[in-house]
Amino acid sequence: MVDFARVQKELHECNKDIEVSGISIKLKEDNNNSLTHLTGTIPGPLATPYEGGNFNIDIVLPDGYPFEPPRMQFATKVWHPNISSQSGAICLDILKDQWSPALTLKTALLSVQALLSAPEPDDPQDAVVAQQYLRDYQTFAATARYWTETFARSSTLGIEDKVKKLVEMGFPEAQVRSTLESVGGDENMALEKLCSG
Amino acid sequence: MLPSNGLLCKFYARGACRKGDHCEFSHDLNNTSNKLCTFYQRGVCSYGSRCRYDHVKVSRSHSSIPSSSSNSSQFLVADSVTQPSWTVSGGSTVVPSVTSELSTSSRAFSRTAKLAWSQRSGHHSLLDTADVEEYKGPDPANHSMCPYAAAGSCPRGKKCPHVHGDLCPSCGKHCLHPFRPDERQKHMKTCEKERKHLEALTLSQEIECSVCLERVLSKPTAAERKFGLLSDCEHPFCISCIKNWRSSSPASGMDVKSTLRACPICRKVSYFVVPSAIWFSTKEEKMEIVDNYKAKLRAIDCKHFNFGNGTCQFGASCFYKHTVKPGSYLWNSTLMPEIYSSSLTQMDSVDDYSSHTSADVDSDCVHVLFKYLYKSHSPLGMQLENDSDVEDSEDELAMAEEMALFLTLMGFQDSDDELDLSDYDDFCNPWSYDNFCDPWNY
Repeated sequence: MVDFARVQKELHECNKDIEVSGISIKLKEDNNNSLTHLTGTIPGPLATPYEGGNFNIDIVLPDGYPFEPPRMQFATKVWHPNISSQSGAICLDILKDQWSPALTLKTALLSVQALLSAPEPDDPQDAVVAQQYLRDYQTFAATARYWTETFARSSTLGIEDKVKKLVEMGFPEAQVRSTLESVGGDENMALEKLCSG
Repeated sequence: MLPSNGLLCKFYARGACRKGDHCEFSHDLNNTSNKLCTFYQRGVCSYGSRCRYDHVKVSRSHSSIPSSSSNSSQFLVADSVTQPSWTVSGGSTVVPSVTSELSTSSRAFSRTAKLAWSQRSGHHSLLDTADVEEYKGPDPANHSMCPYAAAGSCPRGKKCPHVHGDLCPSCGKHCLHPFRPDERQKHMKTCEKERKHLEALTLSQEIECSVCLERVLSKPTAAERKFGLLSDCEHPFCISCIKNWRSSSPASGMDVKSTLRACPICRKVSYFVVPSAIWFSTKEEKMEIVDNYKAKLRAIDCKHFNFGNGTCQFGASCFYKHTVKPGSYLWNSTLMPEIYSSSLTQMDSVDDYSSHTSADVDSDCVHVLFKYLYKSHSPLGMQLENDSDVEDSEDELAMAEEMALFLTLMGFQDSDDELDLSDYDDFCNPWSYDNFCDPWNY
């Protein structure tokens, strides 16, 4: 059974100093506000290709939490050797065998943030990215920056900006609004949905 | 009559001493020393003229007893006695020294005794020196403490007949007896200990468990309000959290030895967890807690070892007691031959094998005795010196039953096979008849 008292405390603590760390954890809206399904947001570390981006991370707490590690994966697409460019799966030891109950969701998210600034291409999650990182760092950095601009930047825009952007692409405003609402404000997903019909 | 004691026998005085000539008290009603009123000697006898004992004074010059040799101490006694209530608030530094002298000269006379002498100086002593020793004055150390003064204030103030204690610096109560140094020290020690415990407890209140993020001592149930001390590091957890972590099933390839046995904070591996109701502030305190815990466990029988019938994976380093019970697997397979050979030499040598069965010496002796008795009534007809009176099988069974009862009382009620008296063969099975009989073959 998940220790809900602890989760609540963690959320409270984390959201208290949100200005300092930039890390926030929220309940996932589409899951009846259950404490076992959360969304964490981390800012891309400065002086990296991820700078300026805001990355959403999907967090699922297993029954054994905090004695079992939380399951985390990127909801935002990211170009990184240790993060799957397809699924968003994270290759980080503390989320697997090096988990400790003294770690919290916030410290885990901080570790993920640190992973963004210090990739481990020798222990890759995404082989393509890792290979590119090792062989052609310039291209890697450019791709990562582009992905950040494309996928991680949008969440900083207000809902009106997103609507405006999509309307400019030629979609009717009412449809844009309803689609954006249904995907939780994610511009890229809304675009995908609009294109697919 | 034994003249060793000059005191009159109480029972004889009432006409009913059962000891007769062997009584250690005096049966001489004419001996006047027996009729002296001890209360009158001390100054006041509430019976007054109705008292059945003699109201005569013992001359002081007669008391050539140890106390009179130390005049200085007597002086001091007289001084302190003039203070009726024994309040020594100001002079607490002086009086204890007096006290120590007093306690050495236990035969000190009090002021009141001297008063009595002065009243009737014409009387000569009717006592010899030996008797004077019986009429000693009250030792201030014998005075009981005033409970009112100890609790706060005594309404009687200086007129209080009881001793008003000194202020204890630790507990802030007037509960230190000024004339009992041993008691003083004992109280101070316990007080200091309690104070430290309280301090530690207040500090412990603040400590949070890093796993549940709650204050350990503010948890809802009493069972949860305990710390789990890790043997090799000093990070606080509540006992339930740390035990949960250490016993959690290794998910996603977590290593039991390196991850689960490690401290969640510093990842230092600890081999055991000690429950404690209080958190420590120094290494010594931690050592004390751990040692106390180990000592407690040593008194409990290991359930895995199961008195020699099971196996304990911790072996000799197990914290629990490993007792080998007579008749257990281990006893039968390894220990008995040694005992057996050692008891070959003489019956007294049961002590020799006590080293093998660390804690169970007494029951081992009983067991051997049991065997011995059983054998002595065996159908093979071995005759030992003392069994000539028991010969038929009925007596044998009665004897065995008696022994079984004895063993049960000793706490062997659950040892099954060897107490099954209905099956005699079963009982003797562990050692074949011939083998067992040999040593007793006189």
